[in-house]
Amino acid sequence: MQVNILNLTKDFGAARAVDDISFSVSSGEIIGFVGPNGAGKTTTMRILATLDEPTSGDAKIDDLSIVELPEKARQLVGYVPDALPMHRDISVHEYLDFFARAYGLVGPQRRQVVEDVEEFTNLTAMREKTLYALSKGMKQRVSLARSLLHDPPVLVMDEPAAGLDPRARVELRELLRILSSQGKAILISSHILTELSEICDGAVIIEQGRIITLGTLQDIAKPEVEQHTVLIRALNRQDDMYNSLLLHPNIAAANRLVDQIEVKINGSEEVCSDLLDNLVRDGYRIVEFKQQGSDLETVFMNVTKGEE
Amino acid sequence: MKSIDNLLDRIDNRLNPIVVKELRQAVQGKFLIVILICFLCLQLLIMGLFLITDESISTSFNAGLNTFRVLQSILFGTCLLFVPAYTGIRLASERADANVDLLFITTLAPRSIIWGKFLAALVITVLLYSAGMPFMTFTYLLRGVDLPSVFILLALNFIVVAVSIQCAMFIGCIPANRVFKVILGVGWFVIIIVIFFTLIAITFAPDGLLDAGMGSQLGSWKFWRNALTVLVGGLSLIGICALLSAALISPVSTNRALPVRIFITAVWILSGASAAIWSIDVNDFNPIMVWAIVNTLLHSTGLFVAVSERERLGWRVRRTVPRRWVFRPLAFLFYSGAAGGVAWASLIITLTVLSAVTWLTVFPHMGTGDEMHRIAPLAILGLYAFSYALGASLIRRNFLADRVTGPHTWIIALVLLGVTTTIIPLSLFFVHGKWEENSLVMSPLGAFLFHESAVVPFSLAVSIFCAVVIGALNLPWFFRQFGNFRAPLKRKQKTVPKETNPDSETESPKSP
Repeated sequence: MQVNILNLTKDFGAARAVDDISFSVSSGEIIGFVGPNGAGKTTTMRILATLDEPTSGDAKIDDLSIVELPEKARQLVGYVPDALPMHRDISVHEYLDFFARAYGLVGPQRRQVVEDVEEFTNLTAMREKTLYALSKGMKQRVSLARSLLHDPPVLVMDEPAAGLDPRARVELRELLRILSSQGKAILISSHILTELSEICDGAVIIEQGRIITLGTLQDIAKPEVEQHTVLIRALNRQDDMYNSLLLHPNIAAANRLVDQIEVKINGSEEVCSDLLDNLVRDGYRIVEFKQQGSDLETVFMNVTKGEE
Repeated sequence: MKSIDNLLDRIDNRLNPIVVKELRQAVQGKFLIVILICFLCLQLLIMGLFLITDESISTSFNAGLNTFRVLQSILFGTCLLFVPAYTGIRLASERADANVDLLFITTLAPRSIIWGKFLAALVITVLLYSAGMPFMTFTYLLRGVDLPSVFILLALNFIVVAVSIQCAMFIGCIPANRVFKVILGVGWFVIIIVIFFTLIAITFAPDGLLDAGMGSQLGSWKFWRNALTVLVGGLSLIGICALLSAALISPVSTNRALPVRIFITAVWILSGASAAIWSIDVNDFNPIMVWAIVNTLLHSTGLFVAVSERERLGWRVRRTVPRRWVFRPLAFLFYSGAAGGVAWASLIITLTVLSAVTWLTVFPHMGTGDEMHRIAPLAILGLYAFSYALGASLIRRNFLADRVTGPHTWIIALVLLGVTTTIIPLSLFFVHGKWEENSLVMSPLGAFLFHESAVVPFSLAVSIFCAVVIGALNLPWFFRQFGNFRAPLKRKQKTVPKETNPDSETESPKSP
């Protein structure tokens, strides 16, 4: 199963929230949907959840158009909104039972599905608690459980990790990995980019309604010019080493940190190795020479302008 | 036992999920329990006090009637006040938390959501009724009230409570901020109080419904005519409010207006037929006049709503537009859309006024001679509503397109109305130092105040002039929307280009 977003555009009056974006998510993939506030992430996700209609363009789940047949599309999409359930007077089990009924599940099948989903999301122990009494992490689980009741092949999750403590985040990450291994196509938006980079197969970075970049994490993290960032710490002559690094032809930039020097090296990893070799030969007592990875956060900061 | 379990399972599976959810929440919440206990305590207290303190209880033939009056007032008051308020406030808070959005992503239709909540509220009303039943039965044993009267009165109260619940739900669905909703809620509360005391007065006044007992009237046509009118009127109001509520919680992209307009048109025809039967039955023009006034007022308000609808229809609606040219104009009137809505409301107003005039022409003996002076203000009301609504649309499109969105056109219409009916007359009053009838010539309701004076023909002439000029200026807008109102031949499927956006750094849309 594949979700294809095709030239999606959404206008709110004169303002264009989503501007001609196209990308796809396949079964078993987790795709991070990243962008600053007001970039158009939630609008896109609401369109995918059939809550809004695009001004133009379409999104297809295999051959099924969500614009033409939103009722059928709802059976295929599980949507986890950023708003959490807040009811005071309904228990977790009753809440899930209600949505199971709303999705047309009946009789023993409904009871079984609700129990299975409660077990999967680790909610069995607190099924009789009211929603209001749950912690944010638990509410997020309930929200996820609700979206899984009709066993949708596509999951659209809007900021599911927002406000969660580290343990809840790890648990959510594990659940997403299991769901992905079950073949679900997952589109997830989050501001916690380190979190996304650990679970996502790819990312779509969006700003002002337009896609800035997209691809696998390796692809989008790869800079146009090969460059490596290295942290160097020496036990002696730190100032001399800093001055000599500035004169080196392959060094693009050097910054002094507290007891380290951050160096941006143009060229391959061999150039890095040669530099280390030279520094040792010049008598510097190097105790740390650490290459920094280019993560999603770095890419995000590089490609977005931070305009809302 | 197994067959009973199967039956219960079958019923459980067929129940509207919203009913199940709402009742579970009601039972677990404190509000209903508190109301129910207070209600029972009050009934018990009153019954006990009555039995202890009334010395004439064994000799009076009205002891049951007197007790019934108090108990029925408490039951009616409790149901009328608390059940609609409980339902309306819950719905409003769900809307405020955007939780209703969650309901859309299931396969539940907005209509099911509204009817589910309404049914749950009715079940709560029945619960309160059943809690009051033992006390009501006791009043029958005390003499002075007949069983048909008890049942008919309780049924009448139930219909009023049901209408009130649906109205409260409608207010709860209105997409407005909390302050505006509180103002609407206070207005609704005042109306509820007025309805409560009016109905109590009608019931218990010396010449009221209970005075002679209703059991003796069951064989008369007059009784059934009145009962049917109340029933049909109540059901119509419930239907209109339910459909309006469903439309309000439906996504904007859907054809929200279609069921509402079809239902209102059906109610318009049915109520017109009922008014005609009434008119012939009592040999009087008044039933037709009441029907005409109510419908003209309703559809004049509808013009302000219609003009605020969207002007461009999305794919979801357009794909359902009939392809045959014969049905397309008819669908244009009933489908969502500003121009179609204005045309529909204008057509209904025109037909209403023409029906009243025709009725009076066919049955001249029913009138007293001044009916035409009473019908003219209706025409003026409709013409001005048309002019203000389309005038507002014209101003918004040409001068305020960047500042005011289509859904807020009604605000411009209200401002226009306020300026011409308040500021201009007040200015003239301060300039001339006296009140002049002509200063209200631009007011849609002014002619009702002076329907016997010479202002009416002048006002009619001005309203016709305004409607013709503003209608003509809006013709291109109208025809543009009518031209766009057609089923798409084939969904335009863009091929995925290599360059999606010249400004974007993205080279090609691909699976990441």
